[in-house]
Amino acid sequence: MTSDAIENPASIPAKAPGGETARRRTSILVLDDEPIVCKRLKPFFQKAGYEVEAFNQPLEALARIEAKRFDVVITDLKMEGLDGLSFLGKVKSLHPDTDVILITGFATMETARQSFRKGVFDCVAKPFKLAELLDGVRRIEKERGLAS
Amino acid sequence: MALPGLTNIIARLWTSLAARLRGRPPVPFSVLYKKFKGILERHNAILELIGDMGDKLGGDYIFDRQYILDSCERLGDQVFKLISDLNLLCQGKNVALFTAFERIQLRVREELAGRRVLSRTDHILPLSELTHDLADEGGNKMASLGDIKNILGFNTPDGFVITAGAYFETMTRAELRKPVAESIRALCVSEGEGLEEKSRALRQAVMDMPLPRELRQAIEHAAGQLSSGGPQLLAVRSSAWDEDSESSFAGMYETVLGVAPADILPAYRRVLASLFCEEALRYRLHHELCAEEPAMAVGVMPMVDALVSGGLYTYAPLQEQDQVMVVSAAWGLGKPIVDGTAETDTYLLRREPPHELLSADIADKTTRLVLAAGGGTRTESVPEAERAQPCLSAAQLTLLAKTAMTLEHFFKRPLDVEWAMTPQGELVVLQARPLSIRPRACAQTEDAAEAVKGVPMLISGRGVTAMGGVSSGPVHIMAEGEDLSAFPYGAILVARHSSPRFAKVMPKCRGIITDVGSATGHMATIARELRVPTLVQTGSATRTLREGQEITLDADHQVVYEGVVEALCRFELVREDVFEESWEYRTLKRVLKHISPLTLLDPKSDAFAPESCRTFHDIARYVHQRAVDKLTSLAETHQDIRERAPRRLVTRLPLGLTVIDVEGGLDAAAGEEPDERDIRCRPLKALMEGLNIAGMWETSPVAVDMGSFMSSVTRTFGAEAAHPSRMGRNLAVISREYLNLHLRLGYHFTVVDAFLGGSVNDNAIAFRFMGGVTDLTRRSRRATLVAAILERSDFLVEVKGDMVTGRIKKHPTRIMLDKMFILGCLIGYTRQLDAKLNSDAALNRHLDIFLQRITAVRETRE
Repeated sequence: MTSDAIENPASIPAKAPGGETARRRTSILVLDDEPIVCKRLKPFFQKAGYEVEAFNQPLEALARIEAKRFDVVITDLKMEGLDGLSFLGKVKSLHPDTDVILITGFATMETARQSFRKGVFDCVAKPFKLAELLDGVRRIEKERGLAS
Repeated sequence: MALPGLTNIIARLWTSLAARLRGRPPVPFSVLYKKFKGILERHNAILELIGDMGDKLGGDYIFDRQYILDSCERLGDQVFKLISDLNLLCQGKNVALFTAFERIQLRVREELAGRRVLSRTDHILPLSELTHDLADEGGNKMASLGDIKNILGFNTPDGFVITAGAYFETMTRAELRKPVAESIRALCVSEGEGLEEKSRALRQAVMDMPLPRELRQAIEHAAGQLSSGGPQLLAVRSSAWDEDSESSFAGMYETVLGVAPADILPAYRRVLASLFCEEALRYRLHHELCAEEPAMAVGVMPMVDALVSGGLYTYAPLQEQDQVMVVSAAWGLGKPIVDGTAETDTYLLRREPPHELLSADIADKTTRLVLAAGGGTRTESVPEAERAQPCLSAAQLTLLAKTAMTLEHFFKRPLDVEWAMTPQGELVVLQARPLSIRPRACAQTEDAAEAVKGVPMLISGRGVTAMGGVSSGPVHIMAEGEDLSAFPYGAILVARHSSPRFAKVMPKCRGIITDVGSATGHMATIARELRVPTLVQTGSATRTLREGQEITLDADHQVVYEGVVEALCRFELVREDVFEESWEYRTLKRVLKHISPLTLLDPKSDAFAPESCRTFHDIARYVHQRAVDKLTSLAETHQDIRERAPRRLVTRLPLGLTVIDVEGGLDAAAGEEPDERDIRCRPLKALMEGLNIAGMWETSPVAVDMGSFMSSVTRTFGAEAAHPSRMGRNLAVISREYLNLHLRLGYHFTVVDAFLGGSVNDNAIAFRFMGGVTDLTRRSRRATLVAAILERSDFLVEVKGDMVTGRIKKHPTRIMLDKMFILGCLIGYTRQLDAKLNSDAALNRHLDIFLQRITAVRETRE
């Protein structure tokens, strides 16, 4: 591992000692009150090379958003306690350049479309294919010049 | 939606409605026909919904609890309406069908509410029938052992399980279920107050409760059989719900070894009582399992007379070496090894094939536990000469390693495997459970993404995930018709087409990649059952990948990397949650048991009745058949039909086809004897073109051997005799866009239902092919051939016995018409084929001939 890192500086992990990162990973926050969604999205995106944090509790996610800016936020539209649109509003007011992908139930697709005006990058309807979501994130990276 | 009882009210309403209808002039044929078409549409919608639900198990989709609830609700609603539609068409009640519906609906709801519906009510199940599908009945541990024995095909002891159903019945009769639930609820509320006391009271209650007489007898009988009436000792093992799964309860429940058959009942009780031991109750409390009712199934197996026993961790929990597995072994029986009291040999082996031996630490083994001649076990000293001998040979170690890695790939977890070698040198797997220790390096999740940076991707973003997962190994490109028994262990199977034949090698192979194939086909279903990462429809894998090339398949991301990307494979093993073990996956799978299997197969059998419907699919099938029958009889009897009376279509081929033109299916100017030029029905026209095309209508005389001839005679006579009035009558109901064709040609029975020419979304073809001459082997070869041809023409194919169903929809009309053309060719070509399908080689030959001919025909047409 060590010798490999010396020979190939590009493989130094993002959290290299010394503060500045060699190559920053795109960061994603996932919020869905259905645990299964978090449980499956987190390893999927991690494996694809993303830095991922996943939350089932809207309030915890909110606290995290206040402490840290993420490149991409993926959130469910309908949750107990706080709906995705208010969460979206909060994210956008704190970090206008964070892109948001909304996950919606099939029935709420219309609400989701309306929220495009509020700065949602994309919507996917449950149940969705993993590849669809990855595609959305890649498009964000492309537009923001994040992709390596 | 239907509340219990509501269906009865509706059924009664039907009765009165029907009574009133009888007094009225008959409903116009056009109205009934519309209803009929409505039934077909709803029938298709139902099958589509069932298919969608099945797809979600594939691993490509994210779905949640709400999806399962919604789908079940929608499906129930559609099936209910389908039955109502049939009642309208037949103008009669069908109470039995509503009852069947209600029965199934109730089961689905019970599953959704978390009250598991045991599909088997037996108190005793033999291990030879257990798989994870019966995990509710047999408990996790025994179900896993069943998978190892019955799916993966390894040696395990014989044995049986006393089911969770037996536990529930015993507890119910002893009136203990309520006290148990109350105790657990109280413990959860008070966060464990008085836990020791409650545990003691519950265990005592279980030890004191009476066992139902039939259960006692059944257990004693089964135990007696297992020990063949001799002194053979038994192992009695816990196999509780949730044990060894996401929540582990590892080692908390009791296992009683060396039990004489006569002592089986006290041992059974002891294992039952351990369900309420302090550790287990505490665990339940701290892992949010308060709402789940505990249940204990109990496995009973003979003690294996072991020359050598031991354990194996597929991932050694060591600091320095992350890539190794560790084997511990000692002479004799395994108990002292499990207890940690014996001196053991320790071997470290590499995880990757060929599982090189890295180190062997040979202990001085002075004693061993053996089976005593008169029953029981005893400790004896090991002969001087054997003490310092390694107890496993290199070949035995390799066998162990391969077996364990195959198990790990199946269970998708690092495992702790208990095993034994018999004096005959046979390896027996006694138990496999998830290792609670996670490999150290796995915490570094960035590893995986980092490790694949810069690794050449051989395939990327192409293909459809039929089963998710990651695995690595050498490529083996499977030639068409290649002998499967030579498939190399640990390779990744790469083939042009997917085939259910591959089921045979799935336990040996690490992954499957095909150029062509469907994620909903038969092979995909089996791959999911065996949890083999599978990527289909990649287009060109057989050309991109080379024989023997080491690759890593990431089916979740549709990527194939060059070389072995160990970090990626490791990442897969350390995921906190295996999708297949999630509530959502298990619940969807459970409800689908009441939804998707088709058990009503033969419309001519007596069992083809509402009472026999066990799933929603069965009901849909039954209604469809009844609706088709009804329309056929209406076409013969309805007074409206006179002006569009059934007309015999003059065809070039001897089809004996009668058509009922509902609307614009024949030229308006056509007379009493229309011919093919008068056909305006687009799907029928395209089908006829395929039938008529030169070279496709098989006319060469078929040499039928005596065996198949006799079986064909009996079969056809049997079938025809059931419907003497329709003998020799082929029927097509047509409109301009619609075709419903029932065709008996030679010995085959074909149904085509097609609607083409509306919007793309309405375009749909359903094709069913069944029956036939000759023995079952040839018929199923023919089914395989038909299925292969359909799959290559992009149909979604399902094969059940010798019935093949192919569906395709939502393609532009031009493409769909071409599919009708191909169906015409297919019907013509396979008309007499099964008598010729005397070998698998013949099957492949005919597949090639057909594909060549169709290519040629197409070129000429273009």
